Amino acid sequence: MRFEYLGIALKSIMERRMRSWLTMIGIFIGIAAVVALISLGQGLQKSISDAFAALGTDKLLIQPKGQIAGPGTQTSTIQFDQSDLDVVKHTRGVEEAIGWNVRMAEIRFNDQTRFFYIGGIPTEDNAENKLYTEISDHKIEEGRDLKSGDTLKIAVGYSLAHDKKFDRNIRVGDRVLINKKEFEVIGIYESLGSPPDDTAIFMSRQILQRSLELGDTIDTIAAKVSAGEDISIVEEAVKKKLRNHRKVEENKEDFSIQTPEQFLQAFMTVLSIVQTVLVGLAAISLVVGGVGIMNTMYTAVLERTKEIGIMKSVGARNYDIAVLFLIESGLLGMFGGIIGVLIGMGLSKLVVMAAKAAGYGIIQAFFPLWSIIGVLFFAFIVGALAGALPALQASKLQPVDALRYE
Amino acid sequence: MKRTGFVLAAMITDYFNYAFSHLTKRKLRSWLTMIGIFIGITSVVALISLGQGMRDAINAQFSGLGSDKIIIQGSGGGFGPPGSFTVDPITKDDKEVVDGVAGIDVTIGRLMRAVRIDYGDETDYEMVLSVPPDRKAIDLIVEVNNIKMLSGRMLSPSDKNKVIMGNAWIEKKIKLGDTIFINDKGFEVVGLMRKTGLPFIDGTVMLPEDSLRDLIDVKEVYDMIAVKVTNPKDLNIVTDRIIKALRKHRDVKEGEENFQVQTPQQVLKTLDTVLLAVQAVVIGIAAISLIVGGIGIMNTMYTAVLERTREIGIMKAIGARNSDVLTMFLIESGLLGMAGGLIGISLGVCLGLIVEFIAVNVSAVPVNASFSLFLILGALSFSFLVGTLSGVFPAMQAARMHPVEALRK
Repeated sequence: MRFEYLGIALKSIMERRMRSWLTMIGIFIGIAAVVALISLGQGLQKSISDAFAALGTDKLLIQPKGQIAGPGTQTSTIQFDQSDLDVVKHTRGVEEAIGWNVRMAEIRFNDQTRFFYIGGIPTEDNAENKLYTEISDHKIEEGRDLKSGDTLKIAVGYSLAHDKKFDRNIRVGDRVLINKKEFEVIGIYESLGSPPDDTAIFMSRQILQRSLELGDTIDTIAAKVSAGEDISIVEEAVKKKLRNHRKVEENKEDFSIQTPEQFLQAFMTVLSIVQTVLVGLAAISLVVGGVGIMNTMYTAVLERTKEIGIMKSVGARNYDIAVLFLIESGLLGMFGGIIGVLIGMGLSKLVVMAAKAAGYGIIQAFFPLWSIIGVLFFAFIVGALAGALPALQASKLQPVDALRYE
Repeated sequence: MKRTGFVLAAMITDYFNYAFSHLTKRKLRSWLTMIGIFIGITSVVALISLGQGMRDAINAQFSGLGSDKIIIQGSGGGFGPPGSFTVDPITKDDKEVVDGVAGIDVTIGRLMRAVRIDYGDETDYEMVLSVPPDRKAIDLIVEVNNIKMLSGRMLSPSDKNKVIMGNAWIEKKIKLGDTIFINDKGFEVVGLMRKTGLPFIDGTVMLPEDSLRDLIDVKEVYDMIAVKVTNPKDLNIVTDRIIKALRKHRDVKEGEENFQVQTPQQVLKTLDTVLLAVQAVVIGIAAISLIVGGIGIMNTMYTAVLERTREIGIMKAIGARNSDVLTMFLIESGLLGMAGGLIGISLGVCLGLIVEFIAVNVSAVPVNASFSLFLILGALSFSFLVGTLSGVFPAMQAARMHPVEALRK
């Protein structure tokens, strides 16, 4: 019986091919936009949380307050120095702690001057370097990584060696002037997929501090918690020791401590809001598509008034007629949904390719199964809901009136 | 047969009447079709009006800077307050060089630094701005930032260890005559500013340049220099002169300047471009629903053509031309689009005003929805265009019908 309904519905859809196509186009445009936005949003969230997962759940990031424009902002009067790093290092429960600096510098290469970030990182061959490697996720593509004893040596981000940031790409062995001092390029890093990281230049922290006359200023401290310690207890301990060392009262700390998760959480919240707004706007077109289905179904009921009259006079109940039309509109919605999902996936792949070409390899498309099934189910619901009123109207037709209709 | 103007006018009236009578006959279908259009127009109109309002507000803020100011900063790229990422900072020497350029009325050197502020039992970490010990420069700062005092006074050239604070500090229980501590040094609050609604101004803290220099131990550096030119007409010439003079003084080649010289208009342009791009993405996504609405019109018109096959046959049999049939259906679809557009614009205006009301009264964000005539006429003609374009294929199908075939149906 039910399969019969399905057959009748399919036949009606095929009969008015043009109208069915136009109705489905109305649905699949909206679904494609929603699928593309969701998959790109999910992909971005996934690659960011993967990047943070590499940091592990046992790290603490400590920064001075007042760095309004981000790390290394030189206008802040609140800074860390070596003594702060030592305090963190010697806190109970901290296995190892490192500090680094990020600054803007004047880079001269190939007779051209540009401004890029330089990072001062631990390069000594010890536990500090090991922790930095664990956190930074930097892998050497060509040449070698920085190591202890390197003085006027630098390793550069992927884009500087591949994307013509100067008229000529930087290669291993090249010489580069940083704030008028000559450095030799000894390594090139693999791409991290984000332009600020991929255009940065790295050298030993001590060398950076010396060349920029920073004294022993440190911009950011990262600490690794010993295995088996509770990270929140260690966080409190670090906070207390730094407070004493910097002579500030409780709740008036001039520094902030965050775990990568907290950092990630704050970021994800913003990302989710943006995604919700955009998907919401795209979903408006789904409402419009639903109205289109409703229109098509009303027309179908009108055209088939006589048919409905005949069906009723040979024994069809109100219920049967309603189900027939609901299946038809639900199918319209679902077919539109299937095409929309396919187009949406294709669209997001295109965006990923375009983003990659622009240096944003961090943008990925990600299609969780739940989202695809959810979207299809949603499309069916939109179709069925849009068909509800026309189906009800059809089911309530009086057989005699319906048969009389011209 | 040539048609006279009079006949043509009568015919067009007839076309409209014909289209109108059909639209009202299939009331439900016409409504549903129009809903498809007006949902899209509503969201687009509301989004454009709010975006435009935001850009207007920013423009108005910048226009206070006038068209006779120039801002000089060290280079370094990156986003943030002036000086944040500077490699070769601007110094007192540079300021002297700028002072010597012809056509300049006033130059102001300023420092912006993040500091710790202790007041009462509270501690904040905020940016503070320096005020130079020069009457003319102080007047210019007042003019540019549109500073109006609520109580107390503006800083004077002879002040030491005094501050003026923005209105937001009143909410933090700061009173005139209070002492606050900046990086552990005491400062007396001698003035509190009126509320402007702009977080950057309302949260501001200004103190004498010398006091700030003592505090942070910076002797020579400025984070930015602001210049007012004597004659606004010479703005570009003076800008070029400053660039040349600084290039010479700092010994850098053209195209490799380690400093930036910008007019507020240039800064505004950059900011506006970013805002415009964000707006374009948001409106583009909302506009997808207009395409879907257009497809709805197309569908309705195909159905109308199908239903009226016989009618078209009769009209053609008694002498209607292809172009007559085409025009009739195009007018009908255009009307659908425009009627949807009219309703959409009204709803969009309401929505914009509601958002404005909520933003101002609930979250205290000064958002102004701006409805230009251009926006309203643009939305109206766009919806008419969507309607007409969607009707083109169905109308062509109707126009090409063979009268005999059509009558046989």
